[in-house]
Amino acid sequence: MNCAFTLVLLVPLLPLLAAFGIAVYILNNAAGDEAEAPTARLAEGSAWLALLVLLGLGMLALVEGSPGHFVVGTWFASGRFTAPISFILDPLSLGFGALVALIGAVTLRFSRNYLHREAGFHRFFLAMSLFLAGMLLIVLAGNAVLAFVGWELCGVSSWLLIGYAYERPTAAGNALYAFLSNRIGDAGFILGISLAAWWLGTVEWSGLTGWAQGSAAGLPFDKVTARMLLFGFMLAAVIKSAQVPFSAWIARALEGPTPSSAIFYGAVMVHAGVYLVIRLAPVLVQVPDVMFYLALIGAATALYGWLAGLAQSDVKSSLIFATTTQVGLMFLACGLGWFELAVWHMGLHAAWRAWQFLLAPSYMHMANAKAAPAPAWLAGRQWLYTAALQRFWLEHLARSTLVRPLQAIARDMRDFDDNMLSHLVGMPERRRAGLAGSGAGDDDVIRAHGLAGRLLKWTADRCHRLESYLLMRSTEGPFLRMLKRAGTYANVFEALLERPRYLVVAIAITFIVIL
Amino acid sequence: MSMAHSTPNAADLRSRLAECVHHLEHVLPGQASIRDFVHHNTLHGFQHLPFPEAITAACRTTGGSAWFPEQTCRAFYRTGRIDDSDLDAALSQAGERAGIDLDAVLATLGGRSVTRREVLRLSLIHPLAPIPFARFRWLVEEQQALERCQDDVPTERRDMLLKSGDEAAVLGDLWTACLDVLGIDHAFAHPEELIELSAREEDSAAAAAAEDFAGPAAELWETLCAKVGAGGTAAELVKSLTAEDAHAALRPLLIRHLAAHLDQGLAPWPNPARTQGFYAAWKASAAQDVAWTLENLGAAREAIAQLPDDPLTALEAELVRLGVPDARWEGYLERLALELPGWSGMFLWRHHHPGYEGTQDVPVEMLDYLAVRLVLERLFVADIVRRHWGIDYSLAALGDYFRRHPAELLVRHACHAGQHDALPEYLLDLVEPHLPASGDTALPQPPGLWDWLAGCIAAWRRNRTGRDAECTANRGLMRLAWPLFRLAQYLGIDGAALRGIGLPGATALLEGLKLLSDDQRGLLWLEAYERHYREQILAGLAANHGRWQGHEQMLGTGPSAQLVFCMDDREEGMRRHLEEIAPAVETLGGAAHFAVFQNYTGLDDVKPTPLCPVAPVVIVPSHNVREVPREGAEATAARHRVRLASRLGWRERLIQATRRSLIAGPLLTALAAPFATAGMLWRSLSPASFGSFFTARRAAFDVPVSTRLELTAPNDSGPASPQQPRDGFTDAEQAERIAGYLTAIGLTQHFAPLVVIMGHGSNSTNNPHLAAYDCGACAGRHSGPNARLFAAMANRPAVRALMAANSGIHVPEGTWFLGAEHNTADDLITWYDLEELPAALKPELQRLDADLAAAAQAHAQERCRRLFSAPLGIGQAAALRHVWGRRHDWSQARPELGHATNACAFIGRRTMSRGAFFDRRSFLISYDPDNDPEGKVLERHLLINGAVGAGISLEYFFSTANNAHFGCGSKITHNVAGYFGVMQGASSDLATGLPQQMIEVHEAMRLLVVVEQTLELITAIYQRQPPLQELVGNGWVIVAAKHPETGAIHLFDPGKGWLPWQGQIAIPTLKQSSDWFAGKREPLSPVLLERPLEAAA
Repeated sequence: MNCAFTLVLLVPLLPLLAAFGIAVYILNNAAGDEAEAPTARLAEGSAWLALLVLLGLGMLALVEGSPGHFVVGTWFASGRFTAPISFILDPLSLGFGALVALIGAVTLRFSRNYLHREAGFHRFFLAMSLFLAGMLLIVLAGNAVLAFVGWELCGVSSWLLIGYAYERPTAAGNALYAFLSNRIGDAGFILGISLAAWWLGTVEWSGLTGWAQGSAAGLPFDKVTARMLLFGFMLAAVIKSAQVPFSAWIARALEGPTPSSAIFYGAVMVHAGVYLVIRLAPVLVQVPDVMFYLALIGAATALYGWLAGLAQSDVKSSLIFATTTQVGLMFLACGLGWFELAVWHMGLHAAWRAWQFLLAPSYMHMANAKAAPAPAWLAGRQWLYTAALQRFWLEHLARSTLVRPLQAIARDMRDFDDNMLSHLVGMPERRRAGLAGSGAGDDDVIRAHGLAGRLLKWTADRCHRLESYLLMRSTEGPFLRMLKRAGTYANVFEALLERPRYLVVAIAITFIVIL
Repeated sequence: MSMAHSTPNAADLRSRLAECVHHLEHVLPGQASIRDFVHHNTLHGFQHLPFPEAITAACRTTGGSAWFPEQTCRAFYRTGRIDDSDLDAALSQAGERAGIDLDAVLATLGGRSVTRREVLRLSLIHPLAPIPFARFRWLVEEQQALERCQDDVPTERRDMLLKSGDEAAVLGDLWTACLDVLGIDHAFAHPEELIELSAREEDSAAAAAAEDFAGPAAELWETLCAKVGAGGTAAELVKSLTAEDAHAALRPLLIRHLAAHLDQGLAPWPNPARTQGFYAAWKASAAQDVAWTLENLGAAREAIAQLPDDPLTALEAELVRLGVPDARWEGYLERLALELPGWSGMFLWRHHHPGYEGTQDVPVEMLDYLAVRLVLERLFVADIVRRHWGIDYSLAALGDYFRRHPAELLVRHACHAGQHDALPEYLLDLVEPHLPASGDTALPQPPGLWDWLAGCIAAWRRNRTGRDAECTANRGLMRLAWPLFRLAQYLGIDGAALRGIGLPGATALLEGLKLLSDDQRGLLWLEAYERHYREQILAGLAANHGRWQGHEQMLGTGPSAQLVFCMDDREEGMRRHLEEIAPAVETLGGAAHFAVFQNYTGLDDVKPTPLCPVAPVVIVPSHNVREVPREGAEATAARHRVRLASRLGWRERLIQATRRSLIAGPLLTALAAPFATAGMLWRSLSPASFGSFFTARRAAFDVPVSTRLELTAPNDSGPASPQQPRDGFTDAEQAERIAGYLTAIGLTQHFAPLVVIMGHGSNSTNNPHLAAYDCGACAGRHSGPNARLFAAMANRPAVRALMAANSGIHVPEGTWFLGAEHNTADDLITWYDLEELPAALKPELQRLDADLAAAAQAHAQERCRRLFSAPLGIGQAAALRHVWGRRHDWSQARPELGHATNACAFIGRRTMSRGAFFDRRSFLISYDPDNDPEGKVLERHLLINGAVGAGISLEYFFSTANNAHFGCGSKITHNVAGYFGVMQGASSDLATGLPQQMIEVHEAMRLLVVVEQTLELITAIYQRQPPLQELVGNGWVIVAAKHPETGAIHLFDPGKGWLPWQGQIAIPTLKQSSDWFAGKREPLSPVLLERPLEAAA
């Protein structure tokens, strides 16, 4: 195999380095019109370069055949488990990767003019580069752990960009909403990774698919295992691609600048879930019931997106529901086993939607007439209309089934904390002190609360008595001198402890002891 | 308070509310749907007030100030946009207005008198206001502010101050002197001392529990209730007691329904009940909304189902239920409307424009909106009230409750009071657990709890008063000693001198700092800022006076061509460059509706578009004009129609179906994606070549058609009216319009062989605010069709004959009128009806076209100096390419800069401003003062064109002065809503005004209108025209008069009348414009340009 394929490392690394460079530039007080060009060039250049590398690798793959799974080195290893730095270079990843890099480069190019003189100019390019690195990593990663790193980079940059105008409470709130929703998916991803590592001893995509096809890993294929494993990954995919019932976040993610809305929710990131499903296709086909659920979710999402989309009266929302619809169709295709179709649909849809989203500001000048009305059988249904306008109450449902119960539990915990634990450990309980009649008149320095407190107070009283006794006895005795010396030592020890390195050592020792 | 009120009968109520809706026009933004954007005064509703008072009133009502922050003003001063003489002049003016003797001596130090003027001046250019304690500490500890002289003290004063010794010693002594003189003890308490409930407080709390809270509580409740309907709402009242924001909760819900109702066709699926009005549609939908149940507001569904069908009844019922006193109903509704000014304003606009853009079947009634708004507020607030207090939603019930629980009211109010009176954290910690979390129901609280809490708070308040001695010292430090210390440095006073003047002297100095209120200071700065540029303009005009006297004679044969441009400030540059290149050409300026108001149906249009001004008053055209294929071009036209229909059909299908269709969507997506990818790449890498290629391809595909205008109606046609517009103008109407317009711009004789009527428009890609760049005189559209129509009329022999007979305007036979359009985005010219141009004039046109092309290049180069994307030394040809690329660049948020930097308007002959550089900042309106003995022509100019200019300049003014409040923020997060406006993100208020990208280079100043006419005539017009008295007398524009013969300039002061202007600025003369602007990005002052003919001679 050609070692030129090692160059694939560069693809996610270039935007990552660009992000790093921009960060350094920001720290060096990048400001003013002149400071914009370096940032934009760095981000854009890295994207074009990544595209070139991918195209070059694609050519090479055409000539020499694609290498498929491809290990560059070992990231870390522990016992039976190793996590290599591996990539997967097949027509799917090379093709989709090139498309991602292309859309990324075009969007960055677009942003150079579009964000001119914005206060968050540099911050925007930093987040976009991070995203590009993350997305390319998802596409090219040869194993789940590396893909997860990309997954998280996308999540963080998405949060940064939805909250781009963080001075508006809505933007900041929605950024958090989207981020938290995605954390559920992340938990699924982690579950998938851990199960794979634990049961199969590998997190390589090739290992997983090989296991499913009965050709590798030396483990018998077990449906229950596969189902559990897939549950984690599919949960991640379903949430990242905003499928029902986790669709609410994507409609709230439109607070960011238009180019970032385009690339994240219109064109690229929303397809990450589909990509993950397609990656795991060989495992999926062994477990038809999971596929059935995927199809069901996809169909429901398509229907949801279509109906809700019909009632949207602003351009970005309308486009985002259209996107959700089509991504739902891709899930449906996957569920039905038409992975090839899903791949093509994904690529074509990403390209078209990027174009359409970037042109969203002029939608009202491009559209000549009113949109064709909804079909007659639908148009008059008041309840269905209300449902569509309220986006099938997914948000409300989430709030009433998840958020509010959680908050209630948290409140109960706090009450428990206040009313029980505080008493037990003797935290001063001030809340109703006045009502109970405070301990005014008690001239003690220390006021004890709770069992532990009283115990402590009693001990303190005894110690105090002993101390006075000793001190009173000898004003200039050896005991005092000894105490003084001990005090000096203690001071030195404390000073040493305050230095970070000793603190680190202390922590390390603690860890060693624990382990 | 009185809850009693009689229920007025429905008719009374309806008329009252109609009046109220009418009044809302004054406080809500009046911006039209964004596709028909036309500039207008943002504060149009306050125009009846004097300008400064209007700003104060608007700030009070809508919450946004339009004065520049002082920081910005100081930056102007530092960068030279305001100089010392401006500041002095503005100071004198402000002193006079406020009745302050500025020359009063505040203190005498070592033989030097310090006047009020000096102290005020220092307080303007240096920040001498009190600072927060924390900042003071930081300055002292980190910046050694008490040992080092302030950085911005002028050297001379610094030397004066430091002559007596070393810096640290002198300043240390000065600081001590400040404290001594003011009698302040420097020991200050640290705010962090207040972190625990002290035993003392707890004791007194116990004692206070027995205290009587009823009195203060009743008083507080009175104040709170008094605000409802007078600047506050029930939601705000409840928020101040519970921290639960009903408005925030209902806003997304309301906006969703509002957007759906106002939508002009973006959503394929409207509310099935939309045709019954907003209230009915909302009710139908809300009654079935599951969200109420999910949000634990189940009762709301029933409540909605039981609402009356008539919004008026509902509205009344809600107000009665809440118990707002009758007299404050209007105030209450106004307050509600102002909570979402953008959406309310758009709703009101549609209320006044029924049937707008094919929405005849959607009734938009402001009362519907207000009723929904009220019901929603009740549903959400009632829920909060129920959860917290378990009582009904009405002011009376709440009042009763708090009469029984006075301590609770006091505690709750203290908890959510504003910053100035915030409770310390430890007290909040005590109260917080007893208030239910958002969305939760209150639990029963132990008896005596609220009393105890109120006691704690009262004790804390008392103690705080006890600590006041320390606090006063701190406050004195910040409020008195610090400003005095800094002022002394700028005055060059040392400690000894300060001790010399003692407390009386120091107090006098400190009072000098506070002589003017914030509003007065805001106006003062604005006047200084305006004066700076005004002096330059007037000096330029004065220097240019008489320079062009003999130009006509020098030409010998009269002008080779006359071009009538729009009065638009963007055409100043184009006209100047053209005159530089072709000295024999004469240019004129007028409003680009060219007085031919029409409902225009272009060849490709499906419906007519009114092309006429909509400000200051809305004009509805009475005549229809169609663009039709010429004889012999019918076959081509048929092909054109087929091709165009198929092209647009596919485009429509692509962009609409890919978002709305479940099945066709993916198929079309797949079809279009490869092209989109290629297009994306090309467009990003080279917008200019993409634009060139597609413009050409599109035109070729559509098959160009030779067309003409169908403009003439038979002479015996019936009358035309806005209600029943007629196809075409009769000969008499045509002659009247042409003659009227030519008279207005003073072009009644000496016609050149070629008279070009030049409309204008702007094209850009991907820009929701497209219409804001177009012609304001044509309702935010291109004015080319009007130019074409005018020329076509003026060329008709019948019209010319009538004009000669009726108006005495003789257009020679050899003169030909030619319509054209100047694209202000790419500076290219489109000619109309060249087919009809007499062969003899073709060489003349060729010459003119070449000159115009050269002027366009030079103009593009001048524009590029303000565009950061263009290199400073850009060449002319490259500049033209740059603006062309910009027009086609889909990523360009500033396709052109529009009217940004507009500052003045000249009404007079071109000789007034010809050959002088005005930096594209001046509206140029042609007017011949010699042929207007009664001032009729000038009157119209002032009333219409002056008002249009004022509207543009004031919209720019307010959007610049406070973009967050009067503008619409940054374009980059905008989201187009329902084809009529933009939001920030997907659920914000509708953003009105201009985006940041349009105003960033603008200099916000009121329009200076310079009129070339005698004082007597202008005064007479002013006295007979109330609209002018409002606009000029209230100071919304500033008027100057230039005498047609002597050139003497007078400035109009609304208080004092005409004041002679005597400026002293020398204006340099340069060879050509580019010598002045080359290599400069900043705004430029006027200069004179050499007269080419004279130079040649």
